[in-house]
Amino acid sequence: MNHIDRREFIKLGLAAGSILALGSSDLTIKAFGKRETPQKVLVLGLDGIDPHLLQVWMREGKLPYFQMLARQGDFIPLITSIPPQSPVAWSNFITGTNPGGHGIFDFIHRDPERYFPEFSASETTEAKKTVRIGKLVLPLSGGNVKNMRKGRAFWQILEDYDIPATVFKIPANYPPVATKQRTISGMGTPDILGSYGIFNYYTTETKELKEDIGGGRIHPVNVIANKVEARIPGPVNTYKKDRPESSIEFKVFIDPVNPVAKISIQDHEFILKEGEWSSWKRIHFRMIPTQSVSGICMFYLKQARPNFKLYVSPININPGQAALPISTPKRYAEELEKRFGPFFTKGLPADTKALDNDVLDDGEFLEQDNLVLRERLNIFDYELARFSSGLLFYYVSSTDQRQHMFWRLIDKEHPSYDPGLAKKYGNTIENIYKEMDKLLAKAMEKVDKDTVLIVMSDHGFSPFRRSFNLNTWLKESGYHTLINPWKQGREDLFLNTNWSRTKAYSFGLNSLYINQKGREAEGIVKPGAEKEALVREIAHELEDFRDPKTGERPVLRAYIAKDVYQGPYVEEAPDIIVGYNHGYRTSWAAPLGRIPKEIVEDNTEKWSGDHCMAPEVIPGILLTNRKIKVKSPALYDLTPTILQIFGIEIPKEIIGKPIF
Amino acid sequence: MWIFNSAFGKIFKLIFFPFRGMNPWVGMILISFLTALLMLFVFRFSSNQEGIRRVKNKIKAHLLELRLFKDSLSLSFKAQRNIFRYNLKYISYSAKPLLVMIIPLILILIQLNLWFGYEPLVPGQETILKVELEEGRSPLDIDLALEPSAGFDIQTLPLRIEEESEIDWRLRAREKGVHDLTFIVNGQRLTKKVAVAQKPLSKISPMKVRRSFINELINPGESPLPRDLPIKTIRVKYPAKDMNLFGWNIPWLLGIPPWLIVYFVLSIILGFVFKGIFKVEI
Repeated sequence: MNHIDRREFIKLGLAAGSILALGSSDLTIKAFGKRETPQKVLVLGLDGIDPHLLQVWMREGKLPYFQMLARQGDFIPLITSIPPQSPVAWSNFITGTNPGGHGIFDFIHRDPERYFPEFSASETTEAKKTVRIGKLVLPLSGGNVKNMRKGRAFWQILEDYDIPATVFKIPANYPPVATKQRTISGMGTPDILGSYGIFNYYTTETKELKEDIGGGRIHPVNVIANKVEARIPGPVNTYKKDRPESSIEFKVFIDPVNPVAKISIQDHEFILKEGEWSSWKRIHFRMIPTQSVSGICMFYLKQARPNFKLYVSPININPGQAALPISTPKRYAEELEKRFGPFFTKGLPADTKALDNDVLDDGEFLEQDNLVLRERLNIFDYELARFSSGLLFYYVSSTDQRQHMFWRLIDKEHPSYDPGLAKKYGNTIENIYKEMDKLLAKAMEKVDKDTVLIVMSDHGFSPFRRSFNLNTWLKESGYHTLINPWKQGREDLFLNTNWSRTKAYSFGLNSLYINQKGREAEGIVKPGAEKEALVREIAHELEDFRDPKTGERPVLRAYIAKDVYQGPYVEEAPDIIVGYNHGYRTSWAAPLGRIPKEIVEDNTEKWSGDHCMAPEVIPGILLTNRKIKVKSPALYDLTPTILQIFGIEIPKEIIGKPIF
Repeated sequence: MWIFNSAFGKIFKLIFFPFRGMNPWVGMILISFLTALLMLFVFRFSSNQEGIRRVKNKIKAHLLELRLFKDSLSLSFKAQRNIFRYNLKYISYSAKPLLVMIIPLILILIQLNLWFGYEPLVPGQETILKVELEEGRSPLDIDLALEPSAGFDIQTLPLRIEEESEIDWRLRAREKGVHDLTFIVNGQRLTKKVAVAQKPLSKISPMKVRRSFINELINPGESPLPRDLPIKTIRVKYPAKDMNLFGWNIPWLLGIPPWLIVYFVLSIILGFVFKGIFKVEI
């Protein structure tokens, strides 16, 4: 997963639509309960585990269970998707196809009619029929939230054959597709604002008062008589004509001397010491007397004095009273909530935006991610203990999030490398690999001779040292023209683009589109030979380009969609998929149509490791307790492998081949 | 007042003693049954049973009249007027037993709140201990210390809120049992009881109050605080108790706690069930 979508999308207010119009959607209620299967499959999906790092630490004896599993069965790099973005990669695994078969090509797609970015994974629409009574707007029908991934998920196929499956937090499954299997959505699940996660930060420190930061809202507050009064913004109230933002007021009482504060919000009252996290708090945004939206959040008292600093996590959907569909059956999330209390439901739970914006420091971010990890491990123990038939898929996100944020502390060549921090947090990535080794230990204890254990990641990781402004390169190469060249770099969404003289543009993290006549609103390139020639020319030139600072090629490979994709949705694909080289990635500006002046820049952000490169650069991992017979397995090969284990005929849409 | 509270509280302790380890529903059904009997008893001996029987018959007769003479407007009006008149009379006959019942019922409800209103803490659970000072008293000026206890960890330094004349601590329950939290205020020792992981049906006193008739009446769980100290209340925040009916948690209704809803419903149902046996006209 990548952070450009959240950063920019949230800022642009393009997040998914109102949560309120949806009501609660019960996709399926019938109880899970199927036949006993002689064979079982346990899949651990460890996002972003890198084969190179894994090998190094296995060799050093730091990961004994990974080593043991590799000895018992096999360990091989796993070919990832083109591009290796998480929604694309996991969709390959879920459907056994490539993007041509499931229609997810990037985190961000675009509407060619408007040259406007769209979330690729899900679409939310509000209630179509409403009735207005005075200032109230009452919906007469439910809204809708739609999973945009095409193709059948492997657990849906298992269901056809009465084989039980529990699929925990697999990415690219929001809202969860209709099934009677136990599933809970992972990456792609929004917070209750319908965004990918917006934190709130309350501070008296004036230097921190730049309110316009992606992924968070900074609230200036005053401490008056040792008390702070503030509000937590909630979802837009679609029950009211002018759609005001809902909110919840809260008070913080600070001791005049001691570094402690009491927070009073709705029916909660709790005391925090400085540097302490609260437990989950259930809060309710009242819309109209009979309707409210329930969410959960955590508070972190960063500082009581001299400056007051309070962080409130993005408000997650309350799994006990989910306002949006996050599980199948609906009561699965409720069951987990009842057993474990509230838990992170937002797709990517750790708040990387807060770390990026210095609202949380490295240690604080790690504490938060440790909370995520602890929750995951607790639920894992529970699911593992009751796993007795069929398939269990279990996903961990902390591996990915920590590599994104802490790569700068293991890479001395990274522009954000800090020796002091490296000394303190340089082992963060190694530690999360060790945590996964412990997780694997539990799984290996559980597996018997009839259980196939698969440990996989969707991609590996690479340093992200230099940012490539793809749209700037297009402009400098004569494929993209601006209306006012002097305004370059100031506007997003191609507001300064002269479309009548533009041949190509890029939206998303790896996607490049030709401004094609008849497809784009103001397309100028004729489909057919003219377009084909242009695509090949751009691909060739991209691969030839060299970074003036390092002399390296930022683009390792430019893939032409129709050469690498198969399936019914190839026509919807970007024309070129840009595969970046080791150390390079698209810039923070390019994915949403901004055109800075420099083609390549240093990446000075804390988000310093990435995987939106060429797939050759960052394969994932595949470890199993069986011998793998295929030389170079790919993500989409795992799907037919699972079906084959259960003796199911492989549907013809699946392009992968079984690996055993 | 404390002597009365203590004695009255012991009656409930005695009633619930055999049922402490059982599901709280057992105790609830029992006390609802006893309340129904008490209500029937009070009704039987404090109301005009003959009068009630008579007005009820009158109401029935006029209802019949209303149906029989529905074509006659004047008779229908007359019947309605009489129904209304006898209803008022019926209410007046019921008022006396209700007035007799009201004070014992309030006392019972106050006691029941201690048994059914709160869930004890469990080891590891955090709570807020709140000391409320008399109005206008600054928490910075008072000499108040909380002594460490085997049953609890004191997790925070005192949080003093001048605006609210309040001092708070966060505690974490450590061991099972009923523990004494000890305060030293102006050299005087005070204790407050805190319940951790008790039996399913346990008496829990969330608040200890300063000596005064009303305060003690409403908070009878513990001996009162001396009047000469600047402390109004000492309160421990307990979670509210759920009343779970076959997996369904009975919700709060317009601010009424679940146990109270259950208690009233059960008492009324049982009252109606047994009124024939005890020949009580309600």
